[in-house]
Amino acid sequence: MRKRRRTFGWLIALALFATLLAACGGGAGGGAGGGASSEPIKVGAIFDLTGATADVGTPYSRGQTAFIEWKNEQGGINGRRLQLISEDYAYQVPRAEELYTRFVTQDKVLVFSGWGTGDTEALRPKITEDKIPFISASYSATLANPAETPYNFLVAPTYSDQLIIAMKWAIDDWKAKGNSGLPKFGYLINDSPFGRSPLADGTAFATSQGIETPLEVPSPRGATDLTPQLTQLRDYGANYIFLQNVSSPAALAIKNAKSLGYDVQFVCLNWCANEILINQAGADAEGVVGTVPFNHESEGGKIALDYARQKNIDYGGADSTFVQGWTAMSILVAGIEKVVADGKPLTGENIKAALETMGPIDTKGVTPPVQFSATDHAGLKALKLFRVENGRWVPITDFISAR
Amino acid sequence: MQSGTFHTTYASDVSLRPYWPQRIRIALALALALIFPWFADRYWLNLANTIAIAAIGAIGLNILVGYTGQISVGHGGFLAVGAYTAGMMAVYLGTPMWITIPVASFFTAAVGAFFGLPSLRLKGLYLAIATLASQEIIIWLLTHGKLLGIGESLSLPRASNNLFGLPLEWLGNNDFAFYWVCLAFLIVTVIFVSNLFRTRTGRAFVAIRDQDIAAQVIGVDLFRYKLLAFATSSFFAGLAGALTAHYRGVISWERFTIETSILYLAMIIIGGLGSVSGSIYGAAFMILLPAFLSNLARTLSDVVPNINSYLPFLQQGAFGLAIILFLIFEPEGIVKMWRNVKDYFRLWPFSY
Repeated sequence: MRKRRRTFGWLIALALFATLLAACGGGAGGGAGGGASSEPIKVGAIFDLTGATADVGTPYSRGQTAFIEWKNEQGGINGRRLQLISEDYAYQVPRAEELYTRFVTQDKVLVFSGWGTGDTEALRPKITEDKIPFISASYSATLANPAETPYNFLVAPTYSDQLIIAMKWAIDDWKAKGNSGLPKFGYLINDSPFGRSPLADGTAFATSQGIETPLEVPSPRGATDLTPQLTQLRDYGANYIFLQNVSSPAALAIKNAKSLGYDVQFVCLNWCANEILINQAGADAEGVVGTVPFNHESEGGKIALDYARQKNIDYGGADSTFVQGWTAMSILVAGIEKVVADGKPLTGENIKAALETMGPIDTKGVTPPVQFSATDHAGLKALKLFRVENGRWVPITDFISAR
Repeated sequence: MQSGTFHTTYASDVSLRPYWPQRIRIALALALALIFPWFADRYWLNLANTIAIAAIGAIGLNILVGYTGQISVGHGGFLAVGAYTAGMMAVYLGTPMWITIPVASFFTAAVGAFFGLPSLRLKGLYLAIATLASQEIIIWLLTHGKLLGIGESLSLPRASNNLFGLPLEWLGNNDFAFYWVCLAFLIVTVIFVSNLFRTRTGRAFVAIRDQDIAAQVIGVDLFRYKLLAFATSSFFAGLAGALTAHYRGVISWERFTIETSILYLAMIIIGGLGSVSGSIYGAAFMILLPAFLSNLARTLSDVVPNINSYLPFLQQGAFGLAIILFLIFEPEGIVKMWRNVKDYFRLWPFSY
């Protein structure tokens, strides 16, 4: 027995040593890169495939990967291939930091596509220092000001704008239904920086309209029953509940509200307004309204979805989220294309300048034209509201903007 | 214990590392630590800093769990207290890090002592649940930051990263500069804690761990020493938290959830309970394991197609597997394995 234990200890020691060697080897190999124009252009990305937001993170990642493949099949950028270097980070900030540092310092990626609000915020100082043009799936308003975050670009209306647009619609809807007075609002949100991101701006807008301060109720992570939270909102008397959460907990809330007999209008912001919500909530999803910044029923959306069908890409039926990932990546790549077309060297500074000065970027109808400027990195201001009708998201308004 | 060594002076008898192989190893490790940053790129510096900070936190937790025998699953919360104290001082008062770090550490020690109060009456699982409550209370306060006048996240001004008026940027880039800061704090922590358990206080901690009633009988003031253990442990948690805040520049409570507390417990269990060097090995292991797995997968991706799509699940599995394998084959952790290796050479060729 003693002997066996010793052998095992040796094996572990050897394995650790091998780890060290492999690790050092990996470190030395990363030095090459840049230079020759036949080299692929490297794009870094982190995805959430196993973490708290994996339900929407997975189709988003498929959309981004598919866009890179599609672009390469179209001939890449001026003959140069795009290479996507990506990994799952399980929605954990320290993992995101580690992967970002590795992709930027060792793989020398030129641009980066992130995911969550917490990790995008945490990476902020590094992004600025490394001069890496960065898009993420977080549309937190704090990232839109280039004076503070010069390399972060927002490819959708900020969460704050989305909430204000949703509130504008809710007030009109309340009047259109012939109610007097003003409605009461409630928030049912993801218990994270992502969930709370738009609340301060939304509440400021609501109170400026004379509406009582909306009630904020966080839904605990991994909850299997949201009845207590909904009871709280019902007791408060909320007529409209704004959901800033990912699809699965949002679907749960909608189903719970139905079985509770609580008649309320749910309004989903971006990350729960997709097909996963309809799949999970089924018939209960009928009538739910959502702010969908990326319209998949458009020419650009058709290209993405046709490609997915042709290549048999499994994205769990979340058409709008797939198109969102695709389009977000296409906007970032448009900046690279512009720099290459101008014959300038490919650097973070040049891509940033190109995105700021190239004028509106056409997304073939998925969004209104995206326009960044040197003083504003929120590329989009307006979106359409959609409603679930017969199991599909159907646009119910024209483009509305927050201001 | 090494035979054939005879101490002829009192000084050599009480020295911390009396044997020459130990001294050579320490000199080698120090030399390696001093040479490393000149060759490493920022990715490896980033990993090294993460490990150093985690090691300080793990040593702190080991004082409480490994040496004093009190279970705590609230370590993440204490890290958060340190990080937010340092962060708020830097943001609202513009205080430089050489002031914020000690203040944050002492403040966290006070908070830790307060949350250690139930330890007088509670033991084992009951204490674990009480510390779980402290974790949740701290995180609740931070997520409802409006109550304390703080936001969801804090962004520290770069200018606060200075030592006695000298900006850290003079040393080089952020990762390189912080390597020296983290290394210095780690060395001080290691020296302090290694010596702590040769003092009256440290011996009292160990006595409480081994049998608290017996300790009380021989005159150890349980209340005082348990609180002291909580305070010392939290002090280092606060230090690690404050370093995290200044190093990362942005802090949010998401970094300090219950998962962090569990990760730190895993570090000291895998590294070795009741061992300073074990805490460092454990921290290094838990941080290098995911990094190593993803590096390995990328190397293999040429040979095994699609390995990247399985990688997330492999990583989750590997974590659990590592802990189970350690518990089965070497419950005393990496430090015991290292000891086995040393024993093998020391006794060779007459190991029986």
